[in-house]
Amino acid sequence: MSLIPAAKEEGSAAGPLPPFHTIDIGHATHVALVEPDTAFWGLVRKDRLADPTAVAQLGDIYRVQADGFAREMDMLRFHLRPSAVYFNPTERCNLNCSYCYIPEDMRRNGEHMTAAAMLDALERLHTYFRGHMPEGRLPQVIFHGAEPLINRRVVFAGIEAFADRFRFGVQTNATLLDDEAVRFLTGHGVGIGLSLDGPEAEIADRTRRRWNGTGVYDHVVRAMERLDGYAGYNVICTMTTENLPHLTELVAFLHAHRVPACMLNVTRCTLPGARRINGGDEAMAGAYIAALERTHELYRETGRKLVVANFANILIAIMAPTARRLMCDISPCGGGRSFFALAPNGDLFPCSEFIGLPAFNGGNLFRNPIDDVLASPPFKLVSGRKVEDIAGCATCGIRHFCGSPCPAEAHEMNGGMNRKGAFCAFYEEQVRYALRLIADGRHEDFLWDGWDEDAETLYSIG
Amino acid sequence: MKQTALDKPQPAQPRPEIIAVRKTCDAEGTGLSHYILMDKRVKR
Repeated sequence: MSLIPAAKEEGSAAGPLPPFHTIDIGHATHVALVEPDTAFWGLVRKDRLADPTAVAQLGDIYRVQADGFAREMDMLRFHLRPSAVYFNPTERCNLNCSYCYIPEDMRRNGEHMTAAAMLDALERLHTYFRGHMPEGRLPQVIFHGAEPLINRRVVFAGIEAFADRFRFGVQTNATLLDDEAVRFLTGHGVGIGLSLDGPEAEIADRTRRRWNGTGVYDHVVRAMERLDGYAGYNVICTMTTENLPHLTELVAFLHAHRVPACMLNVTRCTLPGARRINGGDEAMAGAYIAALERTHELYRETGRKLVVANFANILIAIMAPTARRLMCDISPCGGGRSFFALAPNGDLFPCSEFIGLPAFNGGNLFRNPIDDVLASPPFKLVSGRKVEDIAGCATCGIRHFCGSPCPAEAHEMNGGMNRKGAFCAFYEEQVRYALRLIADGRHEDFLWDGWDEDAETLYSIG
Repeated sequence: MKQTALDKPQPAQPRPEIIAVRKTCDAEGTGLSHYILMDKRVKR
């Protein structure tokens, strides 16, 4: 990909054109022109690239919209306030997955949150969010882990007591998701995320196992069957060396089980264990794009989508930056500014990814005002990490479609916050593919129906 | 395999010379990283 600025064009009578980056997206007929700071882009047919009038058409739109785009990106990047919490109700987990970012000792011997602490924590969080969130918009609490349902009685007590004050979600390994738990969670409209790394036990169990080495594939499949028809559930797959050749089979498996949405996530390389099964940028991009193409074929065959949410988010970041849902691929990332993570003892971290790194503890929910924690040096280290300060990202044409994730990975694996994360080339390929889909007019097939119903179209050409 | 309206062959259309789109909205859906929460509260 050419990520360096193109030579400045002559421009129209309205003045010189901005310094567009010309990006080869690997498409037969079109290339992308991007003005990175405002995330402005257009696709131009290659045989018209030398025609000043064609490029000037984009320049004219840019001149009219640039100030508004700059304000929009500034708001999105620097002025959001938290609206979500990753809430860890226990440090313990009944699994020992290869890539977990929580240290082993913590998962084996860690502490549970008590019921009283849970209710106290939710009350404090409610008070905090109500101070800045508009009426009618509920903050989000995602019970995360470790395995949150190990402390199920306490989690359910919190959901019951605060059902009308938060939107709740649970990310679970499904081993404890029995009929009663499914009834409770679906009855309360709680979002449920399951984890599954392969379409069959032999593959899925390579990375997701109990402490004694046995896999949990069967549990996840039973949970998927229990949740069939529930719109608020999804499945998260972590891409590793162990499952890359099977990603297309996995998305077909999920589609056949009528899963509404999934994520195909990279292996975050914060801890060394995950680095050993990192599939590598090139292999991962190939398998990932093949899996996305398979979801498209299945949609064309059946009329039913399996949305790959992390990819949908990249498409949305390109077409409507303020409509994005996930906050990893933006700079600064959402850690410590649009969400934060809570440990069972009340300690606060910018993101779950940092929970095993004591240096990133910014304070404690039961002892410190949350605004003070957000302003603490550990949080500022994360929320202040921006692409302009990262070598290689500062001049990259797609820096605001990628965001250079992840700070935990950059810090622990690559030596500092001013370094890239682990998957630069993978993100480039992902953006090129997204732009190719737009060039082909296929992009809507990869998005939720109605994803833009609350959005205003500023312009639409082609 | 079951055929649907989506299956019908579509004539290859030449793509426009210039393609560009941008939409905007309140940034109220933002917030998460490791988890997908649907837009609307869901009930069975």
